[in-house]
Amino acid sequence: MTGPHTPIAIQLDRVSKQYRTGRSRTIADLVGSWIDRLRGRRDEVHSASRGSVDATIHALRDASLDVPAGAGVGIIGRNGAGKTTLLKLISRVTWPTSGIVRVAGHVVSLIELGAGFHPELTGRENVYLGAGLFGLTRREIDRQFDAIVQFADVERLIDTPMKRYSSGLYARLGFAVAIFSNPDIVLVDEVLAVGDAAFRRRALEALRRLIAEGKTVLFISHDIWNVRRLCSQIVWMDEGRVRAYGPAGEIAERYMNEVNIEALANQATALQRHRGGTGEIRYVSVELLDDGGRPVTMVAPGDTLVVRASYHAHRRVSRPVFQIAIIDVDAGLVITTASSAVADGPAAGGDVLGDGTIECRFARLPLRPRQYVIRLSISDSDQLASYDAVTAGPRFAVTSRRRGVDGLADEEDGLVSLPYEFVHHRAVAAAAHRQR
Amino acid sequence: MQQLSDRAEPISAAAYWELLMNLTWREVKGRYSQSLFGIGWAVAQPLATMAVFTIVFSRLAKMPSGGAPYPIFAYAALVPWFFFSNSVASGTLSLVTYRNIVTKTYFPREIVPLAQVCSRFIDFFAASALYALLMMYYSVAPGPWALMAPVFFAMLVVFTVGLTLATSAMNVFYRDVNPVVQIALQLWLYLTPVAYPLAAVSDRFRPLFVLNPLSAIVEGFRSSLVFGRAPDWPLVAISALITFGLFAAAFTLFKRMDKYFADVI
Repeated sequence: MTGPHTPIAIQLDRVSKQYRTGRSRTIADLVGSWIDRLRGRRDEVHSASRGSVDATIHALRDASLDVPAGAGVGIIGRNGAGKTTLLKLISRVTWPTSGIVRVAGHVVSLIELGAGFHPELTGRENVYLGAGLFGLTRREIDRQFDAIVQFADVERLIDTPMKRYSSGLYARLGFAVAIFSNPDIVLVDEVLAVGDAAFRRRALEALRRLIAEGKTVLFISHDIWNVRRLCSQIVWMDEGRVRAYGPAGEIAERYMNEVNIEALANQATALQRHRGGTGEIRYVSVELLDDGGRPVTMVAPGDTLVVRASYHAHRRVSRPVFQIAIIDVDAGLVITTASSAVADGPAAGGDVLGDGTIECRFARLPLRPRQYVIRLSISDSDQLASYDAVTAGPRFAVTSRRRGVDGLADEEDGLVSLPYEFVHHRAVAAAAHRQR
Repeated sequence: MQQLSDRAEPISAAAYWELLMNLTWREVKGRYSQSLFGIGWAVAQPLATMAVFTIVFSRLAKMPSGGAPYPIFAYAALVPWFFFSNSVASGTLSLVTYRNIVTKTYFPREIVPLAQVCSRFIDFFAASALYALLMMYYSVAPGPWALMAPVFFAMLVVFTVGLTLATSAMNVFYRDVNPVVQIALQLWLYLTPVAYPLAAVSDRFRPLFVLNPLSAIVEGFRSSLVFGRAPDWPLVAISALITFGLFAAAFTLFKRMDKYFADVI
């Protein structure tokens, strides 16, 4: 879909953006920094009373990018990688320090849903206000009004002040106003995090439809799975630079690999952080292995996953219970396992002292292509005392069966895969009709 | 398919105008919703001040009012004064108050302070309606010079918008601007011939008053509506010059600074 003749919708030409932090907010600060300068102190010097004045952050460094019209482009990267800055530059909320940002067409930014709404005004009035902020005239809004209200599902409350709205409803109306504002380019920043699952689904569906209509959608999300459902291409931002830009499947996999490798490298420190429990016995290391005992971070649906953890007991612990849970990074707890729950578990009976290893084997992992994190704990047999609790253990990702293909199928939606059979009984009338 | 452009997307004049009206409406509605007295508060402010001024300046200080009943003399100046001071007071804060939309969507930034000024139109006209009643009560008939009032209103608006653009933009960068403005407005009321006629100012201080465009505007409203006579033309000319000069400078300043609003707000 991105042939040589596809016009460019967004073009970044060696764009850099610097922010000044600790910028003088009051005249007193300003005078203070002048005095510092007169005394010959450098700008970055920290002063006890003012903090560092005039220190700069490079939010974006020399970023270049050509986004073809009609593409769904995901933007991924860690916090502070420059993702939001990128959107703000494209939407002209802010301007580059150097370089040029070129945009073709009407841009609508969803950096925050319903940012322009006023709680004292009714839903109806806010639709006009919000759509006006996106550059629509009253007549254009009149034409879209019913569609907006219908999409947001707020017919009943449309003449009620918005302060009576739930936050989900607020977000829904904000989203509806934006996508019905005749955009050529839609910028979405993590806004699907608010609202319920039903709204998220509808919003994704609406964005998908916009892409199908030839609009360009830029989509920031930490949920790689959602990005892949929507986007054919991914921009990977890293420390203000465009690290990679290419097909969604490929970039997502590279990104996930790096995140996982980093998580493995930091495992020792990661295990120390988010740590609870009294500490008589503690996990020392945790590994994720495949069927053949090789370390893995990416698992295909139906593969076997082995969680192996070694522990050390400083003093004698009576009948400890080892627990391992799989957490869906976005949706929460999927399953908890406990050593006592399995008859021949390694530490089901007896006391424990010194070093040991436990292993939990998940055969034919029935998980969806998403990101997961392992949570581990050790408690006493009554599960009253907690000896150790690792809330954020190693991470892994389940890859899609449709590797390299744009987007993910709806059959891969949901939390887990269960074995199922699908039977279709046709109505008698239809069968009779066929016989005739 | 549109061409690539490195400029901000031009918003159509109609959309621009409607956005201004919408933000104005939002401001007015936000101010008076859930208040029993509603728009009545817009009238209460100049009316109460008029009462106090009448007691303090007219009864106690025996301030001359050029032959007109003092209440109407003061009220005719207080209505434009409050339009000016309320606009500037809330306008200075407006960009910071609206940081939510300034940092999240693109639109011409001047709409925000402009909406603050526009939202005071309704107060101004409500208070003006009461002025008509006062004129009847004191049996003051409007003369042909009353037709000059819109001219002074236009000058008032241009001066107010100019100052608000400058203070709102500066307040984005330095929050000290707001307290300075609020204090200055308090003092400015007494340095403008609102409670007293310009004629009562001694020659020594007169140049100071001439350089204050509000002197000519307030006196202009009075001469056209209270006294029904021609304004002090040289005074009006100087005031108009300063007013439009300030507006041009403030608008230029604003457009220079507005690219950086979202970064520092």
